[in-house]
Amino acid sequence: MNPVFRTVRELAEAVRSRRVSPVELTEAFLDRLETLGSRYNAVVTVTRQRALVEARRAEGEIAAGGWRGPLHGIPYGAKDLLATAGGIPTTWGAAPLRTQTFDSDATVIGRLEQAGAVLVAKLAMVELAGGMGYRQPNASFTGPGISPWGRDAWSGGSSSGSGSAVAAGLVPFAIGSETWGSILSPAANCGVSGLRPTYGRVSRHGAMALCWTLDKLGPLALNADDCGLVLDAIAGPDPHDPTAAARPFRYDGSEVVGRRFRFGVIRDVAATAEDPVREAFSRSLEVLRKIGTVEEVTLADLPYEAITRTILMAEAASAFEDMIESGAIAGLTAPEDRFTAYARDAILAKDYIKALRLRAFVVREADRVLSEFDALVAPGRPAVASALDREFRSAARGNVPDIMGAIGNAAGLPAIAVPNGVSEAGLPTSLQFMGRAWEENTVLAAARAWQGITDYHLHHPPEVSYLA
Amino acid sequence: MSQPAPDPSEIDLRFELVRFRYGNRLTAEQLDVLRRSVAAIVEQVDALRTVRLTNADEPLQRFAAFRADE
Repeated sequence: MNPVFRTVRELAEAVRSRRVSPVELTEAFLDRLETLGSRYNAVVTVTRQRALVEARRAEGEIAAGGWRGPLHGIPYGAKDLLATAGGIPTTWGAAPLRTQTFDSDATVIGRLEQAGAVLVAKLAMVELAGGMGYRQPNASFTGPGISPWGRDAWSGGSSSGSGSAVAAGLVPFAIGSETWGSILSPAANCGVSGLRPTYGRVSRHGAMALCWTLDKLGPLALNADDCGLVLDAIAGPDPHDPTAAARPFRYDGSEVVGRRFRFGVIRDVAATAEDPVREAFSRSLEVLRKIGTVEEVTLADLPYEAITRTILMAEAASAFEDMIESGAIAGLTAPEDRFTAYARDAILAKDYIKALRLRAFVVREADRVLSEFDALVAPGRPAVASALDREFRSAARGNVPDIMGAIGNAAGLPAIAVPNGVSEAGLPTSLQFMGRAWEENTVLAAARAWQGITDYHLHHPPEVSYLA
Repeated sequence: MSQPAPDPSEIDLRFELVRFRYGNRLTAEQLDVLRRSVAAIVEQVDALRTVRLTNADEPLQRFAAFRADE
């Protein structure tokens, strides 16, 4: 069996029924990471030694009848801001930290190990998760992330390698992180599914802090169902992270055929999107009417983007105070990352607190609107992947509107981006479903229903299909 | 939401702090970029100021008293 582009659910059944062994599976993906990873600047470290130990353990346990569940023996990659023990570097994508190591695993890595998953790679990312204000793709010491859909197409960021490695069939699933757009953007640019869980659903312990009140960890995979399987393994409280909620989560992967949904669309949400994105979104709304209703909604007039951006800029400046004030940021890759964070000293304490006070209004307004719907839908990203040598537009920097991202991240709401088309230039477009807090199962169900009546998620980059 | 253009004097005052703290590390070109960044921050903060809050409108973050033995 060729494991490339098989879903986690398919691989799990093959492993459980012993049609494929975890060691074979792990070796196949290790080989792909080592031969193709550099083609997409997707990998920081291939964790071959650790992976084979974990795979052999899984193989022995399964042979002894101890199958732990759908991730047992399944290889995966982790964004390189998740701490890993055993001397494996955790670089945060930043040249000055390329030899940084930690003594223990991040909670998410530990949870996946408990589930029997096999860590095969630390995946490339934008330096410091983009917190220094990068403007173009070449902002990582591993080079600009490349989307498998085009040699000159950016993979998105900041979870660049998490998107491109899944899209290129280098791993069955990956873990990324989002502060504002860092899971949805690479999912969109790489034509895969990416789930941003509710803030507090997944422990951040052992993950690089960019913004304490905005950072979320979540999976990228070939489809929404796989995202649910992974979330099931990584969600839950953690004594090491007081923001990790005690609310229980169990993925509900039950049948969605016949289920009807209520979708909301914020007025003009796609008005400033690029033509291929807007056209794909318009077509998607027609398709969504087959599985539910679509209604336009209007939000209270609030400076959503300014609120989220102020919180992000202030917290990131504080989180990296040592690197900024010492001048260590001069060693970063992107020229703009070497100094633009200095401007954030111009944000006053009062500005930050005003943003936090206004955030309470955002949270209530988002919940008011979402209480009427299963999900708000919008383009996953307003543009297709930009060229590697081009400056891109970014809501986090303030030169493109992103009301869904501003609200979703300020309010900590779950959202999933799934493919919804391919542009004339051969680049994927994407659709997002954003739900009420703690309603991951609802947005996953909507996304699975979408993927039940469309086949965009079954398409893979032409060159990678050939290489597979 | 629309708001008036930021007051240049506020931009200058906030930029002076940045220049005072980091100016010796920066080129003239980088300082120009930073001044534009500070202008964007002031514009962003002006957007926050357009919303009037009352004394009862608390920050979303809540402080919790702490005891190590609980």
